[in-house]
Amino acid sequence: MKQFDFTVTDEQGIHARPAGLLIKEAKNFASGITVFKGDKSADMKKLLALMGLGIKKGETITVRVEGEDEEQAAAAIEKFLKETF
Amino acid sequence: MALDYHKCAQEISDIIGGGQNIVSAAHCATRLRLVTVDNSKVDKAKLENVDGVKGVFESNGQLQIIIGTGTVNKVYDEFLKITGVSEATKDEVKAAAAAKKPVWYRMIKALGDVFVPILPAIVASGLMMGLVEALGKAIPNFASTDWYGFLDLVSSTAFAYLPVIVAVSAARVFGGNIFLGAVIGLCMINSSLTNAWSLGSADTQVNYWYLLGHLKIGAWTVGSVRQVGYQGHVIPVIIAVWLMCQLEKWLHKHVPEMIDLFVTPLTTVLVTAFLTFTVIGPIFAQLESWVLVGAEWLVKNPIGAGVMGAVYPVTVVMGLHHMYNIIEASMLSSVGLNTWMPIASAANFAQFGACLAVGIKTRNRKTKAVAVPSSMSAALGITEPAIFGVNMRFMKPFVAGMIGGAAGSVFAAFSGIGATAYGVTGIPGYLTINNIPVYTILLLLSGGIAFAVTMAIWKEDAEVKSEEKEDAAEMAAADASLQNAGTAGAPTSAQNGAPVDLPEVMCCSAGKASAPAKGRVISYEDIPDPTFASGALGAGVGIEPEEGVVYAPCDGTISTVAETKHAIGISDGDLEYLIHVGVDTVKMNGDGFDVSVKEGDKVVRGQKIMTFDRGKIKAAGYPDTVVFLLTNSDDYPDFKTNL
Repeated sequence: MKQFDFTVTDEQGIHARPAGLLIKEAKNFASGITVFKGDKSADMKKLLALMGLGIKKGETITVRVEGEDEEQAAAAIEKFLKETF
Repeated sequence: MALDYHKCAQEISDIIGGGQNIVSAAHCATRLRLVTVDNSKVDKAKLENVDGVKGVFESNGQLQIIIGTGTVNKVYDEFLKITGVSEATKDEVKAAAAAKKPVWYRMIKALGDVFVPILPAIVASGLMMGLVEALGKAIPNFASTDWYGFLDLVSSTAFAYLPVIVAVSAARVFGGNIFLGAVIGLCMINSSLTNAWSLGSADTQVNYWYLLGHLKIGAWTVGSVRQVGYQGHVIPVIIAVWLMCQLEKWLHKHVPEMIDLFVTPLTTVLVTAFLTFTVIGPIFAQLESWVLVGAEWLVKNPIGAGVMGAVYPVTVVMGLHHMYNIIEASMLSSVGLNTWMPIASAANFAQFGACLAVGIKTRNRKTKAVAVPSSMSAALGITEPAIFGVNMRFMKPFVAGMIGGAAGSVFAAFSGIGATAYGVTGIPGYLTINNIPVYTILLLLSGGIAFAVTMAIWKEDAEVKSEEKEDAAEMAAADASLQNAGTAGAPTSAQNGAPVDLPEVMCCSAGKASAPAKGRVISYEDIPDPTFASGALGAGVGIEPEEGVVYAPCDGTISTVAETKHAIGISDGDLEYLIHVGVDTVKMNGDGFDVSVKEGDKVVRGQKIMTFDRGKIKAAGYPDTVVFLLTNSDDYPDFKTNL
């Protein structure tokens, strides 16, 4: 299991459209990827669930990756998050 | 607007014929302004169909492409890259356009350039005069108070010394030294000369200087100067300053640099003053008087006024209307009342009426988006957007505007009203007009007739019309449901009125969904945003909405409502739909969006779940396409959309 924290710096937070891109990225991997914000969590491969977290600027999320390709997945997702949000 | 700027610019460039057909390019707040080598090579109809282009017209030798605030600059940047044309300022484009025009046209344009910059002075004085007059009516004996004397001084100065202001402005336009221009203007109204306004009184005697002796040609003594000022004159001043500028520039070129500093100004002023008082002044003052008498006769004569009111917009199209400024300025400085303004106002307000009628009657979103704001601007006296962007394109509204303008002008001729400034027409004209009730009738008459005639004679083509009826009915229904009036059948949801039955747009083995909004359905690949179009968020459709209402596409549960209210997620079993209103609308931070459901709410198909303000989205510069996607369409190989 891999886990890392990420703080959103994008003005608009993780909203619909870029969230879609994030999901696309997540779907490239077989590992299960879960996003935690406070006591809520969501499957990163499900757009509506992810949007439902309402992640805004300045908020910190925790991403947990579990599965056979978790190494690559965690690295890729973290890179994507940093570049996009 | 997440319009594809590059694509838009590329298409425009292709249609125009690329960089080699472009002399220069600039942009203003909303338009791309191009000067092309050959405008006839440009297929305007094709241009109008380019995504992102709201209208195209030719004016003053420029090809103007309306794109929109906040967008035009981005398209412009791309356009420069694609065509390799270098950046030009608006002025350069105007100059390039003017260079292609005949001499008489450039003369009129120069006049406009002289009079437009001095507008603030004229408007300030005119408004103040209106104010003083109103106070005089409201307060008895106001005319004998100190305040009256003071305000009268302040408000009348600009008109009393108008030749100086005109001279400075003219010197700037014609490329001379503005201070030398001021000297010429001041000479012409110097207080040692008899004031032209006091000439009427019996005991004023006019003296002459005979600068070249008493050599006579007919009744005219060569070199004689009538010792009378040029108060109330405008044309002689402009001609004098023009001459001065030519002389000054010539001298700068030919006088050795060492002595240039004192020889040039001295010679310039002396020669110009001499020629002005002996030749230019007398001739052009007379000419101006005739023009003025003619113009005044024209506006007092109902037939003349009617014709003028009718052709006024045509002269605007040709750019000739700047020449009226000179008539108006002359009227103000000679008799203090601008009787030309009511005609201009009638003509302009008629264009407003016609344009508004188009805006109300049209069912074409694009036309409406242009017509309504354009008409508002016309009501405030800026008619170019209404004339070029709307009325001329359909022609009939333009003609209706001419009819309205003529009617209003005939009325103006009978009423004899006038204004205390120029350059202010339409609604702002109230501030300068001398008779508010009559002016109101004038506006209602011209605007109303143009509106009614447009409504009567202008029709969109049949196909659009049938849509219009349907749409009107739907609009009525939507309005009714807004007010919870319950139109047809009992509302199933007390809060949101009767469910609306919209066509099915997508289906798969797990379920199906209807359109979430009324309007044309397009493939998600045609949504004006690369992310949505790529299918990254799932497959689906886009809807070009006809009204600002979102309906639930299926029975289901609201799974998420975006913080910024522009997006709603709905799940129906395993199917997860996303409704995203507009593109980039997240940046509006919820302004203009009103969501009537919350997370966890159960909804039924056709239930109203959100309203949005299309005007605000447009104003913010974003497309208002309603994006409707099945976010997990990848999981359903049999998913398909019905377009």
